[in-house]
Amino acid sequence: MNKTIRDIFIIGKRELLIQVRNPLWLFFGLFQPIVYLALFSPFLKGIASTPGFPQSSAIQFFAPGMLIMNVLFGAAFAGFGLIDQLRSGFIERIRVTPVKRASIALGFVLRTPVVLIIQSAILLVVAVLFFHLRVDIGGVLLLLPLLIIIGITMASLSYTIALTVKDEGTLAAITNFFTLPLFLLAGVMLPISFAPKVIQSIAHFDPFTYAVDASRALVNGAVGDHSVPVVFIIFAVLGVVTVLWFITSMREAVA
Amino acid sequence: MEIQDAQFIGFLIALLAVGAVVLFAWHVVMRPRKRGTKKKVASPAPTVIMAPAETPTTALFSVPVPVSVPANLPTGQSAIIETHNLRRTFASRGKRGKVEAVRGIDFQVLRGEIFGLLGPNGAGKTTTMRMLCTLLIPTTGSVTIAGHSLSHQHLEIRKRIGYVSQVGGMQREATGRENLMLQAKLYGMTVAEATARVEELLTLLNLHEFADRKTSTYSGGQRRIFDLACGIVHRPELLFLDEPSTGLDPQNRAQVWEQVKKLRDQGTTIFVTTHYLEEADALCDRVAIVDHGIIVAMGTPAELKKTIGEDSITLEFADSTQAQYVSMLLEGSPLVRSHTLEERTVRLYVDHGDATLPTILDLLHQQNRPVARIALAHPTLDDVFLKLTGRTLEASEAR
Repeated sequence: MNKTIRDIFIIGKRELLIQVRNPLWLFFGLFQPIVYLALFSPFLKGIASTPGFPQSSAIQFFAPGMLIMNVLFGAAFAGFGLIDQLRSGFIERIRVTPVKRASIALGFVLRTPVVLIIQSAILLVVAVLFFHLRVDIGGVLLLLPLLIIIGITMASLSYTIALTVKDEGTLAAITNFFTLPLFLLAGVMLPISFAPKVIQSIAHFDPFTYAVDASRALVNGAVGDHSVPVVFIIFAVLGVVTVLWFITSMREAVA
Repeated sequence: MEIQDAQFIGFLIALLAVGAVVLFAWHVVMRPRKRGTKKKVASPAPTVIMAPAETPTTALFSVPVPVSVPANLPTGQSAIIETHNLRRTFASRGKRGKVEAVRGIDFQVLRGEIFGLLGPNGAGKTTTMRMLCTLLIPTTGSVTIAGHSLSHQHLEIRKRIGYVSQVGGMQREATGRENLMLQAKLYGMTVAEATARVEELLTLLNLHEFADRKTSTYSGGQRRIFDLACGIVHRPELLFLDEPSTGLDPQNRAQVWEQVKKLRDQGTTIFVTTHYLEEADALCDRVAIVDHGIIVAMGTPAELKKTIGEDSITLEFADSTQAQYVSMLLEGSPLVRSHTLEERTVRLYVDHGDATLPTILDLLHQQNRPVARIALAHPTLDDVFLKLTGRTLEASEAR
């Protein structure tokens, strides 16, 4: 096997192993979205009958958006693990071995899709079993790769910021600064069509707006919705850019 | 509706403006503190560095030990590291611009020796080592390591060197064995090769007992030995150790050094930084003393100590005036090779301390300068450091 690719898997596997050793992540990672499902989606029931509400019921509207939310927040905090590894000297240790910087970066990135698939699958099952979500199987199968590329994009971004600031507090501040507006403008909580015109026009610049639209379309079986190809293109481009950025900063990092 | 939109836009603009002001204020508040700390490291350099160059140091160097390397290289041995005018400047955030961490270092490390880079914290030891380990790109200068140029053969160099940083680099959530396996695989070993090599190392370093526990449960000494194992998993020709014994108790320290010596005896070249001078004296074949980013002395510990004179006599007086007087009195005296003055203390470097001491005491008695305390000591590398920089290593650490 090519050494570059072997190294990616060696590092990625180790990252996953460390993640699995600490099973609390699964609990805390899933806690927030499930609380939203249980305590927030009932609020939407009254609103769901309002004229102009896009989906047939509150859960059909909220659950797909929540999957995107989980990826947005989950992956955006990936950088914390990297800061820990920087501090322990591990990153420096492997930077002295004959391993390409790209292999190190991609090894770290590799962890995210695996974790996200597991989380998203659990969330979908919970939503279907306990909250009566109806899903279109074909749509969901197409949704998973979408979640993966969004996760890779956000994780790479988070890793890059982590390499630059090298400090948990700063990383948390920066992450909140970006993720909260992206999340609110994406219309996860309420239909964006209910918002004032100005917010609607700003929301056009939030890639997550399209992601949430596409997720709703896919879960509800509207696989042909125009938002689906659009969002794949947007996040494919963003994903490539952020991963390359992460590799570049791994190359330059003075860890 | 339109009025509401206008209000909303106004609110957004106000929010952005407040954000910008806060960011700017943060930047302004943060900047001086950063510059302040940098300054502490950087600015004393010129004053202190000039002192030894003008005062007795010149005499010191005109005697046996040259600063430039070739003369004290044992002949017939080849160099594994060769640096020429190695420099590293860090951009500082203040307007003053730059911090020169390493300011032109030339040295050679020979195959099979333990070479120590000594000096206080902030002297440029770690920066130098990080450049040699391909972690930091030199600002200028050329370096050859194991026959490969540092500027464009990183991969070749990385295959041949091992590096153990100050913090080690063990993953806390993984076991010691897993850490070693990962390292072995990253050096391209197959799983079978890696397993065999890790087994061999665990036996060699007597680590089986801890190998399958998470490294977060290790004591400082256990972790350090594992760090060392990690650095030699691929049998490097050249091993870099950054402050290997810092933070260890004497027993663990001895154990680490025992392993290091064993490695040297098996042919590995060791490049080590330390600020424990006694340790360097006992264990290094040759040392270079760095201060403020330049090498102030280089040679075997014995050679360096010889430049100081055989012994040192420390005389403490009741007050600094007395000390100054005695210092002037002994200036140019044939009895004394050189001396330093620190407040109430005069330190003399002499060839035969036990014979010279009575003469000095007679002299002071004649001059009616009573000595409060007196000590006779054989020279240490700390004395060399004091001689060259005008301060003790502990004093430089404290600053």
